Amino acid sequence: MKVCYSVNGKKKEFEIKAGEVLLDVLRRNGYFEVKGNCYMGTCGACTVLIDGLPYTSCTMLAAKVDGSEITTIKGIGTLQKPHPLQKAFVEKGAVQCGFCTPGIILVAYALLKNNPDPTDDDIKKMLDGNLCRCTGYVQQIEAVKLAAKMLKKGDE
Amino acid sequence: MLKLKNVKSCFTPNSIQEAIDIHKKSGGKAVFVGGGLDITVFPNPAIEQLIFLDKLGLTYIRDDVGNIKIGATATITDVTKAPVMQNYLKGKVKIALTELASELLRNQITMGGSIARHHFYSDILPVIYALRGKIMVSDGELVEEFFVDDFYRNDLKVLMETHIVVGVHLNKYDDSFQFGSKRFVRNATDIALLNMAILAQIEEDIIKDVSISVGSRPGPAYRFEQGEAFLRGKKLTKELAEDFESFTKSNVDVTKDMHLCKEYRQHIASIYAKEMLLDFIGGVR
Repeated sequence: MKVCYSVNGKKKEFEIKAGEVLLDVLRRNGYFEVKGNCYMGTCGACTVLIDGLPYTSCTMLAAKVDGSEITTIKGIGTLQKPHPLQKAFVEKGAVQCGFCTPGIILVAYALLKNNPDPTDDDIKKMLDGNLCRCTGYVQQIEAVKLAAKMLKKGDE
Repeated sequence: MLKLKNVKSCFTPNSIQEAIDIHKKSGGKAVFVGGGLDITVFPNPAIEQLIFLDKLGLTYIRDDVGNIKIGATATITDVTKAPVMQNYLKGKVKIALTELASELLRNQITMGGSIARHHFYSDILPVIYALRGKIMVSDGELVEEFFVDDFYRNDLKVLMETHIVVGVHLNKYDDSFQFGSKRFVRNATDIALLNMAILAQIEEDIIKDVSISVGSRPGPAYRFEQGEAFLRGKKLTKELAEDFESFTKSNVDVTKDMHLCKEYRQHIASIYAKEMLLDFIGGVR
């Protein structure tokens, strides 16, 4: 069957199997920045934004989100023009192997959209579903706070 | 990784009747999809058709006379963000729902899915039990209402062949009611080993009415009626909280000895029972 998504602002048609999850469709079509890991919604590595809200794409049926706007990590910033969150994660040493980082940044992105001045507790609660096995979480919290400051200054 | 290997088609009906007709024609091979979380996490190879409920207009959360009406496809996030939930039972229900799973999963989990599937691990069901929620089901023509306890006395497999859960109604309680809930987990996405919720009506320090729910894995949530009878009519004091701790330890049914021993689960339940009563008094520990 065919579905249509807008991925990172570009409308595209995708051929999918009826029982497929979004993660598999995205990766098969070259969106390798979306990481597959637990396939149970427990690690958050596969996070994407669907119509602005963060979801685990490994648990989202691809057919269910036909017509949606999907944002991957590449949709919020590029190597040439990184988003403040991406800059802050590098600056604060919040990236080590990088596998979980796209998901964490997208969840943080969704947080800062609704709450531009989050407390440590707000950040911890929001990142509760994203596991990291190498960097640890302190630097990530620091990075989100730094990004919030950058965004306040208008550093887009 | 194709999880639902045998799924051949998807439907997005525009009415409840249409959804039920598709389900009936499938001969038990179709499944209704609210958020779809459990379907993808626990894929069933018998499923050949998916019936998405997105176009049935069931994402509402309405502040109605005497009730808060929540549509079946409203997600946990929708519920926690709804204006009517912010001060409902002093915001405690919102907190209970915000603390379950992760933001990522709360965006996907629907109220109707949690109710219809009756999963043993649900953290939502103890809350609905304690709040004495009313489950609304429809066959496409009529809407029937069941108190949550009665709803689960049905043979759900049979009922869900011809009906869809269309929503849940929560009573609006006045200021004499207090609510609390607890869950025992290691991290956000863990299945709670034990969860518990209490709704109590307290007038002049007397517990006039109370409902208590307990869920102990692998069993689903149930009403702890012995505990309710123990508390009803008694004066809420620190001593009563301590007595109730002992009572719970001896009488709560923690179902089975899974992961942690029965005694430990009983201990956790008793501590939660005491803590919630102390919170009702005013945080005296």
